[in-house]
Amino acid sequence: MQMVDHLRFSGRPAADVMFVVLTVLQTVSLQTISIAEAAPPDSPYVAGFERFARPGEIAPEVGGRLLVSELSCTACHSSPSELLTAKRGPILAGAGNRLNHQWIRSFLAAPHQMKPGTTMPDILGGLPAGERNAAINALVAFIGSLERPYPEFKGTGAKPVPSEFWNLGDARAGRQLYHRIGCVACHAADVDYETVETKPTPLDELLQQLDPAELKEMGLATAARRVTSVPLGDLPAKYNRKALTHFLLAPHSTRPAGRMPDFQLGLVEAADIAAWLLQDQVPGTAAEIKAAESRDVPQVRASIADAPSAAPSGANSLDSSLVAQGRDLFTSLRCVNCHAIDGLATGPPAMPLARLDRSVGTHCYGTAGKNAPGFSLDDDQVASVKLALAAVAARSTSGDDGPERGTSSAVAAPSPESDQLQLGLLRLNCLACHTRDKQGGVGRYRRAFFETYGNIDIGDEGRLPPPLTGVGRKLKPAWLSRVLQGNGSIRRHMRIRMPVFPAAHVKDLPAQFAMADGGARQQSEHEVFGDAGPLAEPGRALLDTGCVQCHPLRGNALSGVVGIDLAGVTDRVQPEWFREFLLNPSSLKPRTRMPTFFPQGMSQNPNVLAGDADRQIAAMWAYLKDVEKHRLPDKIEAARSQSYELVPDNRPILLRTFMEKAGTHAIAVGFPEMVHFAFDAEHVRLALAWRGRFLDAEGTWFVRFAPPAQPLGTDQIRFPAGVPLAVLPDAASPWPRTDVDQDTAEGDTYRYFGYKLDQSGVPTFQYRYNDYDVHDRIQPQAGHLLRKLTITKRQPFRSRATLWLRGHAGKSLQRDGRLSYTSETGLQTSIQHVDAAGELRRQETIVEWIIPLNFDRQTTVEMRYQW
Amino acid sequence: MVNPATAYNMLHAIAPPVAARCLHWLCSFVLPVAAAGWLAANLASAAEPVALPNESDFYRLISVATSESPTDSRAKNWRPAPNGLALEVSGLTVVDDQRVAVAIRKGEVWILGGVYDDPPRNVTYQRFATALHEPLGLLKHDDAFYTVQRSELTRLRDTDADGQADEYRSIAKGWGLTGHYHEYAYGPKLDRQGNFWLTLNIGLGLKGAQLDRTVRDPTLGYRQGRWRGWGMKVAADGELIPVCAGMRSPSGIGMNSAGDMFYTDQQGNWVATNSLHHMREGVFFHHAEALASMALPGSTITDVKKVPGGLPYPAALAAFPQLRPPAVWFPYEKAGQSATDIMLDDSNGRFGPFANQLFVGEFTQASLQRVFLEKVRGEYQGACFPFRSRFASAVLRLAQGTDGSVFVGLTNRGWSSLGTAAYGLQRLVWTGKTPFEIKEMRARPDGFELVFTQPVDVASATETGSYAMQSHTYLYHSTYGSDEIQRQTLAIKQAKVSPDGMRVHLRVAGLRELFVHELIAAGVRSRDGHPLLHSHAWYTLNRIP
Repeated sequence: MQMVDHLRFSGRPAADVMFVVLTVLQTVSLQTISIAEAAPPDSPYVAGFERFARPGEIAPEVGGRLLVSELSCTACHSSPSELLTAKRGPILAGAGNRLNHQWIRSFLAAPHQMKPGTTMPDILGGLPAGERNAAINALVAFIGSLERPYPEFKGTGAKPVPSEFWNLGDARAGRQLYHRIGCVACHAADVDYETVETKPTPLDELLQQLDPAELKEMGLATAARRVTSVPLGDLPAKYNRKALTHFLLAPHSTRPAGRMPDFQLGLVEAADIAAWLLQDQVPGTAAEIKAAESRDVPQVRASIADAPSAAPSGANSLDSSLVAQGRDLFTSLRCVNCHAIDGLATGPPAMPLARLDRSVGTHCYGTAGKNAPGFSLDDDQVASVKLALAAVAARSTSGDDGPERGTSSAVAAPSPESDQLQLGLLRLNCLACHTRDKQGGVGRYRRAFFETYGNIDIGDEGRLPPPLTGVGRKLKPAWLSRVLQGNGSIRRHMRIRMPVFPAAHVKDLPAQFAMADGGARQQSEHEVFGDAGPLAEPGRALLDTGCVQCHPLRGNALSGVVGIDLAGVTDRVQPEWFREFLLNPSSLKPRTRMPTFFPQGMSQNPNVLAGDADRQIAAMWAYLKDVEKHRLPDKIEAARSQSYELVPDNRPILLRTFMEKAGTHAIAVGFPEMVHFAFDAEHVRLALAWRGRFLDAEGTWFVRFAPPAQPLGTDQIRFPAGVPLAVLPDAASPWPRTDVDQDTAEGDTYRYFGYKLDQSGVPTFQYRYNDYDVHDRIQPQAGHLLRKLTITKRQPFRSRATLWLRGHAGKSLQRDGRLSYTSETGLQTSIQHVDAAGELRRQETIVEWIIPLNFDRQTTVEMRYQW
Repeated sequence: MVNPATAYNMLHAIAPPVAARCLHWLCSFVLPVAAAGWLAANLASAAEPVALPNESDFYRLISVATSESPTDSRAKNWRPAPNGLALEVSGLTVVDDQRVAVAIRKGEVWILGGVYDDPPRNVTYQRFATALHEPLGLLKHDDAFYTVQRSELTRLRDTDADGQADEYRSIAKGWGLTGHYHEYAYGPKLDRQGNFWLTLNIGLGLKGAQLDRTVRDPTLGYRQGRWRGWGMKVAADGELIPVCAGMRSPSGIGMNSAGDMFYTDQQGNWVATNSLHHMREGVFFHHAEALASMALPGSTITDVKKVPGGLPYPAALAAFPQLRPPAVWFPYEKAGQSATDIMLDDSNGRFGPFANQLFVGEFTQASLQRVFLEKVRGEYQGACFPFRSRFASAVLRLAQGTDGSVFVGLTNRGWSSLGTAAYGLQRLVWTGKTPFEIKEMRARPDGFELVFTQPVDVASATETGSYAMQSHTYLYHSTYGSDEIQRQTLAIKQAKVSPDGMRVHLRVAGLRELFVHELIAAGVRSRDGHPLLHSHAWYTLNRIP
């Protein structure tokens, strides 16, 4: 068995080329065919078998069962056993425009040489040469006729769909993706690819130094073993970029067995990876397929629906008869048993599995014989299959021919569920990434490819896929189902992606895990924690003592913290596991970085809930369960505020934003004195003031929907609507209305000019009204606001009517002094530096205090606002 | 004669040509190894070069500062990358041969130094201004910076020379801002008369208090904030002058080499696909709700009694005299999904062979398109071409550096884009190698003239089968976007190469005015045997000369 451990990216090995050349020439010379057949065949590659059965890490019979299902024995040799369900092959609908026809031809002629490690048997090898040749021609014609349009993708603002995206792949980008997102968990890495981590881990160094005997003695033989790679075959000969890109985008639409999982790639990502895998191919498009097709394949476009009788009358009758011949062969040779095609019946019955004479079945095991396919198994594989078949036969003779239940069968199994689970994990190669019960996990020499974004070091936990040991106790089945459906990416700091497997193959996994790990009888939340609801607030406090140092919460985290967000954890993990994990993390997860906060089960924090460890854990659960409704833990809130809360430490801070009470042109100004205001630049007025904390800018800065900013502090006071100054023909004229009508506020009357910041950062607003320039400066003084309006007459000055200042307005005004009034809102305005006391007047529903301003060139009015 | 439709489909699917491909396959599969070697050696000059050139061979991307962040651009709790400036570039202007200034979406202006370094190892950051409301443009002009915030055009000046703006002068305001997030305001860009140009997004689905801040057209009943969907200019004295209307999401403004002002629009309601328009007085583009401001004083659009809906564009133009077709349509997906900034290559060749052409940013596909414009009977029309892809994030802003290289401002928050970053600044540098491209595509009475950047191989360029053409138009309607409709395949009757090999005159049967003409010149080879770097072009044939 020769394993290909690195991709053959640079050139096809000579032997392959020679083989291919010879295969093609077979149509010319029978002599060459025999030479091709003489080449040593590769045995089928089944990842779980190679890694675990061959070195004896799983029972040989389990390896045998795995082979029986992965080689799809039961597709022909029927068996009622669910453990032996046939994997079956790719769906060939669309093969005509997906696969290079020349490749189909070569593959049919010698599958094991054309695609080393394939689980497809040699079907035709047992036929006499002439017959065999004719069969290949017919099958290529038939398979080549199976066309199916590629799916169409619709671009939107949320979905980039560059046109003909499959031609846009960039091999360099594809190479990086291939080595980052998880392809190399199963497939070979490029020898020259450089990971960021180049230093071997201490374990690697140890493994390096030990000899095999020592490794075995220390129980490190498994860890030291190089994990072989799932061969990719000669992709450039098989696919063009369009075909491979579409395969990567939806592998299960052609390979429903899901051994190649769906990484939910973006369109261009798929094109990039395809470009990398096909980089030896001269860049191009469908030309490869079409070119081959035009030479080798009859130009017939018969879909299955177009039976020969329905073929277009103009079609070449020889070609359509070849297609029909191929279709017949597809059934009679039992191809259809693995490659189901709508409208085609299964092939002739074969001997049921239980009745096979396992000692004789050499036809299937080795090279193809008359009427029997050749799987090209090696000795290990044959021995394992024989063991599995022996078990089947034993059950059959003991009368237990049904699904393998109970332990009465000849080969004892712990339980059918755990068998199912074990085989399921082996089939889907889950153990390529995940460990379970000390088996599997990312293989040696592959770990460096598992990186975090930014290459932050949060240990192996932070970069390797999580172990599955005890996962049935740990995770709630509903959450595990979500993960398996591709909706569970909570480890966003990892570059590796958890791919999606076909629902049919993983739907039972959560229940099987639960059963196997004793998690089927989980205690309810109430049983574990009692009535914990009221404990949420102490729970919040407890989170601050440790959890927040490593875990974000609702997207917020302490500076530099990267890890799993604890929001939603109560939907993910079982309450019992949560409790146990907090009490003793490493008992459930050896070598975890999670520290023990309850050494010997004792709380380190006697001040919360009287130091009762169980109650404290219950409290944390209660808080996390309702985390959306509660405040963030103080430390996280402080960190969040540091990022988004505007805290004017030593200078004023401005924020231009939407505010409910200051409009869409609001300019909020916060002061170190902790008195703040918002100026409405649309209506040119002071709109709002408050004390205490200023504003949170997150919505203004980073939220697409631009929510209005809310004052964080207290003592909010609104100022009366309307501009501060107005030229009135007489004292009875109405104050200009500006709060709804934009025309009067802007236009000819008021013109806002922005602001200037002085040395201390205090803004002075500037605007022009009529023949007056106004500088408007507002800042805190003794806990209140002091406003200085400096009004300058512009030259030439034409205005004849009097300029009035509106000192105050409200439903009612209480006189506090000659130049001081308080409204029903509690806002008091006091004015200095004016000669006239002004007058109170009623305008519709409000009372106004207006003061005439008479001055030569410039005046400054000081208004003090208290509330 | 091959049926034109078949030829078109073949060209769509097959490039480079089948003949060369067959040789490759012969080499790989049919011939014995020794013979294959012989053949390869003897056909080396005729066979395809193994690695075709790609965009990066001609235009190299340098990351000045890009985030490495797995943030979902649409996440509810979007966060900038930790420990970094959220360099979501929304405005970009060149300061000198060391520095650029950027506006960022959170509302600040930063001056970045060392940005021309290659690699840029020592980029410096200086905060110049803060507290701007989602500024979506930045312009350095007369020792000040100008930016359009949501509510005003603002001039930023540092009057006390401490490196930070202290004067935030409101130069012009007065357009409506109901509070809807989609009411973005873009600009300014300067014209040769010294006017600032800015454009105003339409609001979407206004409700509640937002409606109190709208104007309503008495005839048509549309409601929007004042001048929403309009292109405005601001005179030096600060007067806000409405110019043209009917914009949906006009995130790009730019001047061409003749000094005319253009804007880009993005597909959506009333807008069939992304487009480039010549802004001039009294012209209406697409989005009917902009007519809410038709009756306001200063409006340049009058007398629209009824807006037609559900008509093919040519018919809509006939029924709606104020409606003017775009100078260039960017067919959806093929030439981007959301057009943004417009940049004139004003570098006299330091940015490669496309001097005086326009470059248009592309948000969703994180790329740039190139535009050739010509005037036919007094109106602009022209062609767009793919130019450069694979920016690190959505391209929002463009500015040409003093050395001719192009700074590209990136941010994808709120929508989605290709690329690996959420935001950043990159620089696109011409490598000095000339790509084989269709430089210009000009309308002719009987077809098109193609001008190439390099001499063509006469045999392939004379072969009519090297080209394929189809034309289509769009529906003008209130729904979101439009399919390409009334598609027809055009026969290429003749392809005639100029003596210098730089031009090809295509005689084409069946030109249709007001239709987009899609050209695929996949079979054309340069004199030294290269295929076109981009074989597709889309010409918006408003008028046949």
